[in-house]
Amino acid sequence: MVDQLPNLGREAEMLAAMGMTSIEELFADIPSEVRMKGDLPLPPPQSEEEILSDARRLLGANVALGERVSFLGAGLYRNYVPASVFQLVTRGEFLTSYTPYQPEVSQGMLQAMWEFQTLISELVGLPIANLSLYDGSTAAAEALTCSVRVHTRKATQKDTVYVSELTPPDRLSVMQNYCQGAEIKIKFLRHNDDGTLDMDSVSEAIGSCGVYVEQPNPLGLLDGGVTQLKEILGEHTALIVAVQPVSLGLVEAPGHYGADIVVGEGQPLGSPITGGGPIYGIFACSKPYLRLMPGRIVGRSIDVDGNTAYCLTLSTREQHIRRHRATSNICTNETLIALMGAMHMALLGPEGLYDLAVRNMTACIMGKQKLQAVDGVHIPHSSGDHFNEFAIELPGTAKDCLEYLDSVGIVGGFDLSLWYPERTNWMLVTFTDQTQAKHIDLLIEHLSGWVSTLEVAA
Amino acid sequence: MSHLFEHNGAKGQGYSQPAPVLPASEITLPSGLSRKALPRWPRLSEPEMVRHYTWLSKRNFGIDTGFYPLGSCTMKHNPRVNEVIAQIPGIADIHPHQPEHHLQGLLSIFHEMQYMLEVCAGMDQVTLQPVAGAQGEFTAVRCIQEYFRLRGEDQRTKVIVPDSAHGTNPASAAMCGFEIVEIPSRTDGRIDLDALRAVADDTIAVMMITNPNTLGLFEEDILEASSIVHGVGGQMYYDGANFNAILGITSPGLMGFDAVHFNLHKTFSQPHGGGGPGSGPIGVKQHLAQFLPGPLVGKRTANEDELHAAVDENWYHWYQPTHSIGKVQQWHGNAGAIIRCWAYYRRYGRGLRTMSEHAVLNANYLRHAIHKATKEAGVDSLVVDGAEAKVAKHEFTLSLAPAKEAHGISAMDVAKGLLDMGYMAPTVYFPLVVPECMMVEPTETESKDTLDTFATDFAEVLQVDAETLHAAPVTTPVRRVDEVYAARNLCLRHPYDDE
Ligand SMILES: Cc1ncc(COP(=O)(O)O)c(C=O)c1O
Repeated sequence: MVDQLPNLGREAEMLAAMGMTSIEELFADIPSEVRMKGDLPLPPPQSEEEILSDARRLLGANVALGERVSFLGAGLYRNYVPASVFQLVTRGEFLTSYTPYQPEVSQGMLQAMWEFQTLISELVGLPIANLSLYDGSTAAAEALTCSVRVHTRKATQKDTVYVSELTPPDRLSVMQNYCQGAEIKIKFLRHNDDGTLDMDSVSEAIGSCGVYVEQPNPLGLLDGGVTQLKEILGEHTALIVAVQPVSLGLVEAPGHYGADIVVGEGQPLGSPITGGGPIYGIFACSKPYLRLMPGRIVGRSIDVDGNTAYCLTLSTREQHIRRHRATSNICTNETLIALMGAMHMALLGPEGLYDLAVRNMTACIMGKQKLQAVDGVHIPHSSGDHFNEFAIELPGTAKDCLEYLDSVGIVGGFDLSLWYPERTNWMLVTFTDQTQAKHIDLLIEHLSGWVSTLEVAA
Repeated sequence: MSHLFEHNGAKGQGYSQPAPVLPASEITLPSGLSRKALPRWPRLSEPEMVRHYTWLSKRNFGIDTGFYPLGSCTMKHNPRVNEVIAQIPGIADIHPHQPEHHLQGLLSIFHEMQYMLEVCAGMDQVTLQPVAGAQGEFTAVRCIQEYFRLRGEDQRTKVIVPDSAHGTNPASAAMCGFEIVEIPSRTDGRIDLDALRAVADDTIAVMMITNPNTLGLFEEDILEASSIVHGVGGQMYYDGANFNAILGITSPGLMGFDAVHFNLHKTFSQPHGGGGPGSGPIGVKQHLAQFLPGPLVGKRTANEDELHAAVDENWYHWYQPTHSIGKVQQWHGNAGAIIRCWAYYRRYGRGLRTMSEHAVLNANYLRHAIHKATKEAGVDSLVVDGAEAKVAKHEFTLSLAPAKEAHGISAMDVAKGLLDMGYMAPTVYFPLVVPECMMVEPTETESKDTLDTFATDFAEVLQVDAETLHAAPVTTPVRRVDEVYAARNLCLRHPYDDE
């Protein structure tokens, strides 16, 4: 621990300067009733080498998806993050800085985040983006509460929002936690048998504060109907669309078909999946939402010499100024991961984004073509177009299927009964830019193998 | 001055990709969903991109650049091996929905971190899910809210916070739907027990407080405060932002708290990355454990057919608390941050106390050195302690109110003067209860020499005339930034030519 404590061994000298003789004097104000007795029941200190070796052993025992053939996505997507992103993001000036409270010495991060705001704004087709929320689920939840703050006064369905019934329960649970304090009612939009939104149920949402849908939806389906929602809902209901950002290399930006707020898991741009965090939540909106939106925002300004300079702005929405009336409690966000996103976007450029989207979508198309040919496997929403993933219906439970595939070294997908309990035979299979044709062939081979074991048993 | 959007030369991209598995012509999209125009992103080759971000990094100040005494933020050194560890595929390339037998290493580290935080905090159960301090506050207050709902104590609609509290405390409680009762601090910055007694009744759900408080002072009456709140049936919440002062010395559990959050990005050195990521686990006493967000990590003895995947004799598994409030982040929290903080804690192990001792030693030494240096320079009349106290804990406050009065020099002016001397400025104007406040937190990872030099330089800044200080900084990448201009002339993205 000497490594981290430069004054180890200089205690006496420093204490003497203060007229003290023991460290204990520095803690004289802590009453004996609250003192800890004895040492912390923890192991002895370790050296860097020992820690690294333990880390390699323990983390090495995890199954990294790159060691397997994997079709697991369901909200997080394996991607390739270019090497320069990692090299640059660990520069100490970025890595070891705090929130840029002193703009004169934080121009680097402030400008990088202003550029990030522009990149996201262009990507989703809305004029304003903040510099990240915690993840896609909290971004979605904050979008709902934001829509209520903006619209509830004029709403005929006060304090009410509608979300797609397909919203994964973990994401929905975050929404419920964020909404319950303001007594916001969450109602549901239904879907048709082909997976598309039921437009009749959308008309029930007229007069509410906000409507939340995902594009692609949680089952990977791209739904043209979403482009008509704004017209149905009108200007007094916020249309909130959650996106997989890479899809926007091919799919129209929601801001261009009337979305008022766009949110999403930023992870596929710039960040490895990292067990689900740290990743970053995207939050972008149109002008009427600006002053009631959550999170930090960078503005371009000038310094006293009139030179371009950047600083945090619109802070009067935030907790450190507005305290209990703040638009959100967020303070620490995911800036560094957003920076990785910005770097990745900068390297891709518009054409690179398109290429990346094509790689993701064609892998999914190939998967669908080949899975369609497997006997016993049915694709419920096969008539639609999918990005990254789609549901398949199996002749047995997804749980059994995943266990079988695991036994042959394939991470087969996601058991959809964890989202929709009655769908015990449904599995979500995911294809990304990291999926190769030979991976899909392997899946087909072993899935067919599993199906035939069922036939034998029957 | 350059920015990303000036790079628009070549048509190509800075990163060529493998061919898609099928030609793009195979793609069909629902009508109306085909993107008409790609985003107007810049086009950079890799060397241009690398140079752009390297240039930006040089216009940014981190702990690696210099002394960063930003009070309340615990800007300690971030060991680099932790970054190496976080890139191991067994953390970078794992999915939270993988089966347990794929994640035994992760689960065992999570279990160890839950345990370590439990014993440090004197709490019975920790969850690692919240991803920042503010989210930890929100999560814990939600748990307490459900606890009272289950007991039928719906009349508890209020949360008490001292006026010295961080803004996230009232914001988090308000987000849960509570009414905020703010109580004044005493003139010495500590909690006013009479003010607390005056508001304590059976409408109180929680009192939120940090100890040492935001002035860096230990609340000696904390047990009395706890008993007042518990006496009316309320719960005590500990804001763990200042945990760096007390590890192994005392604990929130010993002080009578029922729930606590940790800012792992402060105490346990997850790099703050210019604004985040953080990690904000919470710990609670047994009566609140069933409400925590799930899943939590438990362990049992591994059976024979599990041993091939086990990392030791145990089997680590997820489980759901019985009355869980549900989730606050969709996945398992900031797992990558937890791993870094695990590596950090392992450096100290049972010696974490030494870390806190040095944090407090450095803070007190610096406070002493600043007073000595300002006295020697004859400017000691310009700065006073933010609060009277024989000893501070891991941070301390100064008030520049006398400088303001005598010469019109504000805390902000001094902050900008310090930037010119090559330092990050301390936190200014927080806590709100100290006029012209400057909050200084050196952390344990600064050498005595750095502290001595800073003290001398601080006194030197106070000797600078007001006019020069108003014009500071002059040596930084830009000079004083006009925040009012930024708010009045909103420019939140690059203005393209046609806009
Ligand atoms: C005293 C105090 N409480 C709470 C917080 C909030 O923590 P976070 O930024 O991790 O959300 C902070 C951090 O700035 C703090 O200093």
